[in-house]
Amino acid sequence: MASRTTRQTSRSSIVPAPIAGIASLILPGLGQALTRQIWRGLLLLGSLATSIGLLAWRINLLAPREVGFADVFVKALQRQPGFVILALLGVVTLWLWNAWDAYQQAKPDQKGGVGIFVLVVAVLFVLGWQISQIQPYKLVTELSDASRPLGRVVWPWRAAVTRDTETIGASADILSPCDELPPPAVPEEVPGQPYIIAEPTCGDLSTRDENLAEVPGTLLTVTGWGFTPNTAALVFWADPLGNEFQMRQGGEYLSIMTDEEGAFEFQVNMPYRLIPPSSEGRMIHRIEVRQITAVGKLRPSTVLLNNIEKMVETIVLGMMATIFGIVLAVPVSFLAARNLMAGSPITMFIYFVTRTVLNIIRSIEPLIWAILAITVVGLGPFAGVIALTVHSIAALGKLYSEAIESIDPGPIEAIHATGATRLQTIMYAVVPQMIPPFVSFSIYRWDINVRMSTIIGLVGGGGIGFLLTQYIRLLDYRSAGIAVWFIAITVAALDYVSSEIRQRFV
Amino acid sequence: MLEVKHLTKVYDDGTVALRDVSFTVEDGEFLVIIGLSGSGKSTLLRCINRLIDPTEGEIMWDGVDIAGADAGELRQIRRRIGMIFQHFNLVKRSSVLTNVLSGRLGYVNPWSSLLHRFPAQDRKMAMDALRRVGIADQAHKRADELSGGQQQRVGIARALMQQPSIILADEPVASLDPVLAHSILEHLEMLNQEEGISILCSLHYLDLVQRYASRVIGLRDGRVVYRGTREAIRAMTDDEFKEIYGEEAVRVRVGPQQGGSA
Repeated sequence: MASRTTRQTSRSSIVPAPIAGIASLILPGLGQALTRQIWRGLLLLGSLATSIGLLAWRINLLAPREVGFADVFVKALQRQPGFVILALLGVVTLWLWNAWDAYQQAKPDQKGGVGIFVLVVAVLFVLGWQISQIQPYKLVTELSDASRPLGRVVWPWRAAVTRDTETIGASADILSPCDELPPPAVPEEVPGQPYIIAEPTCGDLSTRDENLAEVPGTLLTVTGWGFTPNTAALVFWADPLGNEFQMRQGGEYLSIMTDEEGAFEFQVNMPYRLIPPSSEGRMIHRIEVRQITAVGKLRPSTVLLNNIEKMVETIVLGMMATIFGIVLAVPVSFLAARNLMAGSPITMFIYFVTRTVLNIIRSIEPLIWAILAITVVGLGPFAGVIALTVHSIAALGKLYSEAIESIDPGPIEAIHATGATRLQTIMYAVVPQMIPPFVSFSIYRWDINVRMSTIIGLVGGGGIGFLLTQYIRLLDYRSAGIAVWFIAITVAALDYVSSEIRQRFV
Repeated sequence: MLEVKHLTKVYDDGTVALRDVSFTVEDGEFLVIIGLSGSGKSTLLRCINRLIDPTEGEIMWDGVDIAGADAGELRQIRRRIGMIFQHFNLVKRSSVLTNVLSGRLGYVNPWSSLLHRFPAQDRKMAMDALRRVGIADQAHKRADELSGGQQQRVGIARALMQQPSIILADEPVASLDPVLAHSILEHLEMLNQEEGISILCSLHYLDLVQRYASRVIGLRDGRVVYRGTREAIRAMTDDEFKEIYGEEAVRVRVGPQQGGSA
């Protein structure tokens, strides 16, 4: 741009400077065009039109319900005063500067300044900031909510190991509602076993009256002995159908601590009815107190094993795609090498078709190829292999063909001059030149494919990405963290290995 | 004896590189072609072994017309014509020995050569050739690890493997400094005198021409503008030199004694 304007300013303006300025004030860029700087004029016109268009759009979005220009503007100004004022100021300044610029450009021997284009970028930056909803304060204000899941992702290893557990517990039956028959008996005490008594042994479940106000259930007093001392215990409720849930009090799960003799006492209201009111017969519920303690040695958890399994699958997936990619890209690359195909119009046609197809395939992301492949072969690693293979063929085909195009013709000439056959010439002059770029590109592609195969899983193409999305959707951040760690370690290791191999080889 | 008769080369884009060039190379001669870059020297040399197909003319070599040879005959002819290049044209990533052995490709079984198998006597011959140019100790290095002068010696050894009766040398010393230039040309001179191999060599520097040539032809715009004997070239004046090279030519003195000023 700079050289172009410098060259053009040597030519004189069509109109005097003030007229150029006024022209640009009426239509931005017109004055510059009149000073024979059409490109500068078009650029300024385009910049102003874009800025004003974007600003109008954003102001409209800020006031979706208002009608009429004034109302819309006032509402937008109320909602985001900083943005509206700054962007408006920028646009107005740009318009005025554009007129001043035309005035300056029309003077003889005036060089094109770039200051105005700095302002264009600044105005677009302000608009871009608002459009992409950049709100840096969120990084701080939302951090407290995010810190727990983030912490789990950053250090997920508690989920990587597990122990066998042992559950001890005791239960007591509760009748609801009470009736004329005797309520369930208090359980008998067995020495050495945990044991609880809940009183009374019959009562009413929580419910709501006509006004939907809460009617608490009968207050039960639960006492227990024979549990593991100084250990938390959980309280469960099972209805007559066998549905079981952990009891809450005031919204929180009820958790009680046993004393040093393994005994405890607590009170809890009977929970809401879970069974339909029309059900008949005597309803015997059960309250149960359980202690779950870990026993035995640490061992890898199912999550860890799943992650390892899927990581292996990912690496193999990437490898298979690379192998298929290389095998298929080699013949394609010969068709896409200009120096080999320059012989006749037919081969040139094949060259152009191959090049075009490769460019189209390459411009479609592997993620999209995976979605397409899944519709054909279904979810799983095979879809991922197909997606990465297709993309690899296109990428490697281009790289290989460029390597073929850039070989030194000198040795070919020299070997040819010794009386060698065409095949011998290829073997002695072409192949040695091709090996380093082929190896280098292939390993680089393997590296990319493994990296991509972690992503392919996000859409169902198999591998660890599949697992990762599942864990994230289940809010299981520790398990997701393990997957993230595995991906990071694998990619970093592969990166190192591939660059080492390439350095050795080339 | 090599006889070039009325040789003309017109490239596809219409450039006329050679116009009606005729000359002979007697057996055992050291014929030097001089001329500016673009005067047609490289095209002429490449026409002789048909790396470039001439448009018109005959190239008679020991009674065979090279210009009219078919592919099979051409390979038979090419293997007796060694060629040395300005940029050496070695396969850089292959070993020096492999590069030298590739000079033998016209003689060996084409299929076993694809597996890089060469007969034992060829390997011995390659080592002898390397010894002859003084770099036998470099045989197992990669070609691009060698210096420019050493690479050109590999080029000579490769040509030697063809057991040639003529060597075409296209600006063999243009990429080398003056001291090395003499050393390479001395090797060629030795082959010329000891083996009786004819040398057809293009050169840039008048001093080198005066020192090595047994006969000289000068090319300008694809035409032969000068023919001179050894004695004539030794007596050549700057004015005659300028006639061949054009007005802008400057005589550059080159030689070990002067320490080099190219």
